[in-house]
Formats: sequence, structure tokens, C-alpha cells
Amino acid sequence: MFGALGQALNETLHVVQKLSDWRARALEFEQEIQKAVIGQARVVRLVTICIFARGHVLIEGDVGVGKTTLLRAVSRALGGDFARVEGTVDMMPSDILYHTYLGEDGRPRVDPSELLRHAETLPVFFFNEINRARPQVHSLLLRLMAERSVSAFNRVHHFPYLNVFADRNMVEREETFELPAAARDRFFMEILMAAPDDEEARRRLVFDPAFHDTETLLERVSPGTLDYRETPAVARAIQTHVRSSEALERYVLNLWRALVDPSSAGVSLPDVDLDSLVKGGASPRGLAALVRAARVRAWLEGRDYLIPEDVRDVFIEVMAHRIFVDPIHALRSDDIVKRLCRAAFDATPVP
Amino acid sequence: MRMACVALMLAASLPAFAQETTVRIHSARPFGYFVGDLIHARIDVSVPADAVLSRASLPNPGPLSGSLDLRDVKLRETMENGARLWRLDLTYQNFYVALDARDIEVPGFDLSITTATGAQTIAVPAWRIGVSPLREIAPQKQEQASDYLRPDGSSAFVDEATPLNLAFGAGAAALLALALVARDRAWPPFQQRKARVFSALARQISTRRGADGGNLAVAIQSVHRALDQANGAILLSGDVPEFLRRHPEFELLRVDFERFFETSKRLFFGGESSEDDEAAEQLAQFVSRLARQERAG
Repeated sequence: MFGALGQALNETLHVVQKLSDWRARALEFEQEIQKAVIGQARVVRLVTICIFARGHVLIEGDVGVGKTTLLRAVSRALGGDFARVEGTVDMMPSDILYHTYLGEDGRPRVDPSELLRHAETLPVFFFNEINRARPQVHSLLLRLMAERSVSAFNRVHHFPYLNVFADRNMVEREETFELPAAARDRFFMEILMAAPDDEEARRRLVFDPAFHDTETLLERVSPGTLDYRETPAVARAIQTHVRSSEALERYVLNLWRALVDPSSAGVSLPDVDLDSLVKGGASPRGLAALVRAARVRAWLEGRDYLIPEDVRDVFIEVMAHRIFVDPIHALRSDDIVKRLCRAAFDATPVP
Repeated sequence: MRMACVALMLAASLPAFAQETTVRIHSARPFGYFVGDLIHARIDVSVPADAVLSRASLPNPGPLSGSLDLRDVKLRETMENGARLWRLDLTYQNFYVALDARDIEVPGFDLSITTATGAQTIAVPAWRIGVSPLREIAPQKQEQASDYLRPDGSSAFVDEATPLNLAFGAGAAALLALALVARDRAWPPFQQRKARVFSALARQISTRRGADGGNLAVAIQSVHRALDQANGAILLSGDVPEFLRRHPEFELLRVDFERFFETSKRLFFGGESSEDDEAAEQLAQFVSRLARQERAG
């Protein structure tokens, strides 16, 4: 009996040591990314959380703020491949899976697309302007995200290390297809990426020639700081190792109630009728994602237990895009949902 | 008043009290009273020890005749040589404007008593005093009618500045005291004053500790709720710098804040035990410091 106990203890110690090593590498990974992407420490932290929570990311940001640079830097630091597609209104699912062209002999050829070719070694897949693509494409993407597999060439291709990063065009409304609720709910986080506030970072981005050439910029990032092939195992270890106390679990459930039924939890917003505000979302999957993200944050902060700050720090990014409000508020729903989230935090006591 | 002479002495003639009941009337003097003078008289009634006086039979202050008022009646009861002694101090006022020196009668009255043998009446007899005129009957002739009059006494000048100042000062002090009390109690117009949540909490925690030793987890939760109330929203450790910026009176306690949140974090989320006397003592000190800073702020 003591032998078994000792073995279990040894395993635990081994996991603790491994997680500690990986934490150091995760912090180093963040540092590497920030060599190429400056003034975006929070975005980098959130992306790191997504990688170790194995979650797909919706990136919202203006054009030219460095989304592609960020994702290429992430891909380089993870040591894997990088694939990117541009959403267009005439894009079909086959365009993502197949590469069609005329061969030298003049005959049509169909080869695997970049996505399929790198399936086994692809940690970062960037779908630019996802809301320009049609629902058929969204549907393919949903399967890719949910199951990390697609069917092509009459067989199933697996993407064991895949993280999807999708960007929404928030400027134009013509010829766009807003993501349906189910699609948005499958994204682990929605990260807002804006131009940095820091004056010095702004100055460097504009005047420092190093930031004008993406290729040389990316060379600053040491390749393979993390091994993307190990992230699934580390992600599992984090989720089992970081504890949640009863007080914290009660807190998260109270937060959930405050979102779904704000008036009963004493939440109020000055100019909004909360009884009819929330029409959907805040799903169990969303709350599970919240706890996953909070656990990764706790681990990155060097703790083996969750605290309310972990939950709050990732809450807007994990939850806001999953909450669907009455259509009357549709045009300003982002703002209202964020206000609702903050009000829920202000009204939910802890511990 | 010292009685200078004994005017009258009456031995009651009732057979049953022949040796026991006496009425003595003393007055300062039996003559020399002018109009307006007060006449003090003492009437000693000596009765058997078991006698009870009916107080309703005492004379009532008020006019006795057209020129004599009874102003005051006082009764004292003592024991003297085994007998009961009722000592009546009567004050009369004379309004008789005498034109020559003469006697006027002070009317007598009856006292009702009850003894072992039944109800009895003791008669206090009438007695006489001499009154005198203030002036001669026919004064010397004067040229002016006003010469018959005496000039009015000059009125004293009273300086009202000092009492007025004192009154204003006292009034101002009273208003200030009222304002201080109103602020302390948050009466209008001070109802907007911030509630002293930490003072109330400090009392509550010290009471609870005294009562049952206190549960650290419950105490920490109550401190959290008080901090939430002071903050206007739920306060997490990450919000402390912003809270201190908005409430600079608590800036001195930054280290205590950090220690409190660390303790709370370890207890509620890190799974540590709550049995720690030192932590409880630190918490009580933290709350009392919060209360002190709150009052100062």
C-alpha cells in the first residue's frame, strides 16, 4: 500500500516539476513574442492562455494593428507551421481543403491545400475576415474546431495540435455573413487587439524601420521556444493540477446566474431593461471554457489554485462573445454585454 | 423667625382633653404694623400622641377680610414630652390703611382632629394686632400738589451688552454642539455622510470574538462585505490600488490590505486551515485601523 502511495506521490511531484518548467518556458514564450509585437502584453498573455487551454480564438481588431505578425510570431515560437486563408464572399469549403491548378501538361490537378498538407504539424491556422465567408465555410470551420479533423480525399485528416485564429472584419457590413451563435460559442476567446496605448511603443512602430519589415521582425523570435507537440499534454496537466475551492466554484456559479438572470442577482444597468436583455448564450460550454482559461492563468501566475482574479481577468474575453442579447440592442450589443459582465462582477460577492 | 413674645395661650376646655390639648399663638410683636406689612404668626397645637389632624381643616391662603390676607400656611409635626405637637407657621399681610393706631382682629379657625375617642374640633381663637398710620391725618399745606408726592426712585442702569453677548455665545455653542451631534448621528442635513461601515464592523468583530472566540472565515467574509460597501462594488485584490487612489485616507494601510487579501486568498481558495489565532488578531487590528482611518477621513 505504501509503495502505491509513494508512487502516486512521485508522480505528483513529477507533474509539479514539469508544470513548473513549462511555466518558465511559457513566460519565455511570451517574452519572445513581445520581441516582434510590442505594446501588446495583454493580448500576448491571452493568446498564451488559449494555447495552453487548447482553445480557438476570435481576434477582433482594426486593420494593420499586427494580427498576422502576432500569429506568425506565435507559430514560429511554437516551432510549427503556419497556414492562413482569406475569407471571401465566393469562397467554398473546398477552397480551404484543396489546391486546384493546371499542371505543366495543361491538365487540371487537385492537390491538398496548405491546411491539409500541414495537418500534423499545424499549431496556428489563421482565418482572416471570417465573416466574409459564407455559412458553408463556417460550417467546415466549426467541424475543424470542434473535432480537429476534416474529411478530404475520401479520408479523415486529423489536426492534433491545431489552434484556429479567426479575424472578423468589423468595418464593413456589406457582403458579410455574421457568425451564427453556435459558431461564436465554439470560439474559446474573443480577443480585442487595438493599437498600443503606450506612446513609446507607438513611436517605435511608426518610426523604427525594424517594424516595417515583417520577415526580419519575425527573425527576432527564437523558433521553437515551446514545443507545440507537448502542449496538449501540458494543457491536460494544468487542468487537473490547478484546484478550485468550494468558495470559488460557488462564485463562478453565482456569476453565471447573474448573467443569465441579472435582475434576480441584483444586477442593474442604468438604461437597459435586464429582464429581456439576455436571449441566449452563457452556455455550460462557455462557463467550462471560463474555468479552463482561469486555470491556465492561475498556472501562469505561479499558483496551483484558482482565485477570483483569474476568473475576472479572462471573463470578458471568454464570455462576452457567447452572450446574445435582444435584437433591439444588436447594434451596440458588444458594449452592453461588456457592461453587463462588469455589473455582474460588481454585484457578485466573493468569497 | 425668632418669636419674641407669646401673645395668647389657650387651654382647651374640652373635658376629655382637659390636661392634654393646648393651643399657643406666638407672633413677633402684637403692634406696630403698617399697611402692606407681613405678619408672621406661629400656632403650636399640642394634642395626645394618637391624634390625627384633618389637613382639610387647615386655613386656606387667600383673603380673610377686606383688609387682611393669609399668604402662606406651613405645618410641621413633632413629638414633645410624649404629646404630639403641630406647629403652624402662618403668614398674613395687612392691607388696613389706619388713620390712627388701633387693634384689628385676626380671625380664628377650627381644626378637626381624630383621636381614639372620636372626631373632635379644636378652636384656634381670634387674636388682635395693633396697626399704625403711615402719615398724619392733616398734612402741612404745600404750594404744589406735586409736593405731596415723593419723587420716584431713580431706576438703576443695567448694561445689557454682557448678558446679550453671553446669550449669543451660549446659543452659538449650543448650535455647534447640535451640529456635531447631528453629524455623528447622520441626522439631516448630514444624512449624506458616508456610513461608518468599518466602525460598525470593528464593534461587531470584537463582540463576536468575545462571544465565541470568533470564526476567522466568517470574520474575513464580513470584512470583505464592508470593503465592498466602501468601494461601491465588489473589491478584489487587483482593485486595491485603484481603491486606495480613490480613498487616500486608507493609503497608510496598503501593507495591511495586501496581507488581508493574501490571508483571505489562502484561506478561501488555497485550502488552508482557518484555525489561526495570530491571523484573527491581525484581522482585528486591521479592522480597528480601518475604523480609525475612516473616522479621520
